[in-house]
Amino acid sequence: MLQLHDVHYAWPGGAECLAIERLVLQAGQTHFLHGPSGCGKSTLLGLMAGVLLARRGRVELLGQDWATLPAGRRDARRADHVGVIFQQFNLLPYLSVRDNVLLPTRFSGLRAQRCEGGPLAAATALLHRVGLGADLHGRRADALSVGQQQRVAAARALIGGPELVIADEPTSALDAARRDDFMALLLDACAAAGSTLVFVSHDERLAVRFDQRLDLPALNRAAVGVVA
Amino acid sequence: MKALLRIAVASALNRRGTLALVVLSIALATALLLGLERLRTDIRAGFAQSVSGTDLVVGARTSPVQLMLYAVFRVGGATNNVSMDSIRAVEAHRAVAWVVPLSLGDSHRGRPVLGTTTAYFERFMYGDRQPLAFAAGRPFAGTLDGLYEAVIGAEIAQALGYAPGARITLTHGGGDTLAAEHADKPFTVVGVLARTGTPVDRTVHVSLEALEAIHLDWAGGAPIPGVRIPAEAARKFDLAPQQVTAALVGLKNRVAVFNVQRFVAEYEAEALLAVLPAVALDELWQVVGPAEQSLLAISVLVAVVSLASLVAVVLAGLNERRRELAVLRAVGAGPRHVLLLLAAEGALVTLAGALLGAAVAAALVLGAGPLLQREFGITLSAAAPTVAQWGLFGAVVAAGMLASLVPGWRAYRLSLADGLSPRT
Repeated sequence: MLQLHDVHYAWPGGAECLAIERLVLQAGQTHFLHGPSGCGKSTLLGLMAGVLLARRGRVELLGQDWATLPAGRRDARRADHVGVIFQQFNLLPYLSVRDNVLLPTRFSGLRAQRCEGGPLAAATALLHRVGLGADLHGRRADALSVGQQQRVAAARALIGGPELVIADEPTSALDAARRDDFMALLLDACAAAGSTLVFVSHDERLAVRFDQRLDLPALNRAAVGVVA
Repeated sequence: MKALLRIAVASALNRRGTLALVVLSIALATALLLGLERLRTDIRAGFAQSVSGTDLVVGARTSPVQLMLYAVFRVGGATNNVSMDSIRAVEAHRAVAWVVPLSLGDSHRGRPVLGTTTAYFERFMYGDRQPLAFAAGRPFAGTLDGLYEAVIGAEIAQALGYAPGARITLTHGGGDTLAAEHADKPFTVVGVLARTGTPVDRTVHVSLEALEAIHLDWAGGAPIPGVRIPAEAARKFDLAPQQVTAALVGLKNRVAVFNVQRFVAEYEAEALLAVLPAVALDELWQVVGPAEQSLLAISVLVAVVSLASLVAVVLAGLNERRRELAVLRAVGAGPRHVLLLLAAEGALVTLAGALLGAAVAAALVLGAGPLLQREFGITLSAAAPTVAQWGLFGAVVAAGMLASLVPGWRAYRLSLADGLSPRT
């Protein structure tokens, strides 16, 4: 589903920070990507989502290398096939919860089409699945608690069934109880949609729930000599 | 993209506090530009339309502009009078068809009093060669019986509530003061003129003889102490006017206008001046021109400043919105979508400001209209916007759209650089 071949990346004007010889992610699997801060986890996510372009090597999502596409097509492809969850501030505060979940369907016709019963019905179903009652759907996004907002973010990332879901430390801002709830919800929803999940975190205790565990410092050839 | 537009509107509404100030400043600039344009067009039209059908205006040798201002607009003061002998000499010229003498100096409740002959009501035209019409009553008789008759303009009738039969007294001089009133010789209103949109509306018309009558027992601007000539007795005196302020001249053939003008200029018995109304009005506009240009320049500057403030406010807020932009990137918006979003936002704010400004300008025109009519006899038309006004409106909106590309470009670069993880 997602393959990296001999990928090298350096920040503009900086030394090389990422060098991965080979990485293959299978469809429908959940992957836990961990490593200490500063080792390049977010950079790798950027490369996977086609936001950053490797200086050398190939990053292929569903068989298509990001680098062969022009910028506009890259953005369209990302809209169609990738869902993203950040650590915090995932939502547009001035839109309602429902409108936030619907955002990807406005930018991707493919995902809008894949929604069973239409985008609105799919959004409502997803929100219920992540445990948010109907009374919250019309509320402004910034009226919710952090835990609730993260769940809305999960719903938004999953609407329209994108093949790849990227989560960049989504539980780091949650307390222990919320974290466990969220993990269960996310994994369950990804399984139901058949999406591949790449979950980044520095908290190794979460790794047990995942199908595959990736250790970035081990993968990253350029990590030798980098000060964390 | 409809989705982008909805997001732009929601995002702008979220920050409506700061953006409201920008909208107000753009509205101010637009109101200034549009209002000034309306004022300029209407005043120019008003000036041009205030007299027509008159080939020359003759008066004492002064500047043409001053003569026109005084004789036609009844604003300012005459430097000198003209003797009736000279007027008769002009009338006798073979190319001259008619002459209407004008005498100014008195006033009534701040409005000028014009002494003239009955020919005024036949010969005076305004606008597109429109003659004067009566809304009520008739012209003054011009005879000794009807000595103290007056015809008033539409604005006076409306503002002071006069109708035929009303009694008024005239004030010596141009002021509003009650001190120097010709109280012993009141006038009766016999006619009210229909509205013309020219200084005629604010003028009280009486016969030349009547003006002589009320000044019989005055000298040097005040009543002669110990001399009192009652109204009835004045009829027995010789009331033929010796001096007038100016005269309107109509020719048998317009071709002769320069001949007659030269004749008047070379007239030896008195220093006279004859002006072509159109030429004098153009000259007036040259005087006004620089003032007009500077007002326009200031308005343009205000517009530039307000658009600059729009750019500044949006740019300053961009840092706060990096997360917002990152979210949009995450849900599939590309950097060009971000650019469009910012540009759309700026365009919406500018449009809102411009519309508000246009409304304010229209309201100002409605509000200031009566004042200008009263003071200068100029009508502001609350008509449809002129081509120039549409042009100015469009220019403001277009400039706003262009200006919004600056923060749009910055947002584009930011979202490119930030990728999926904004540095906030």
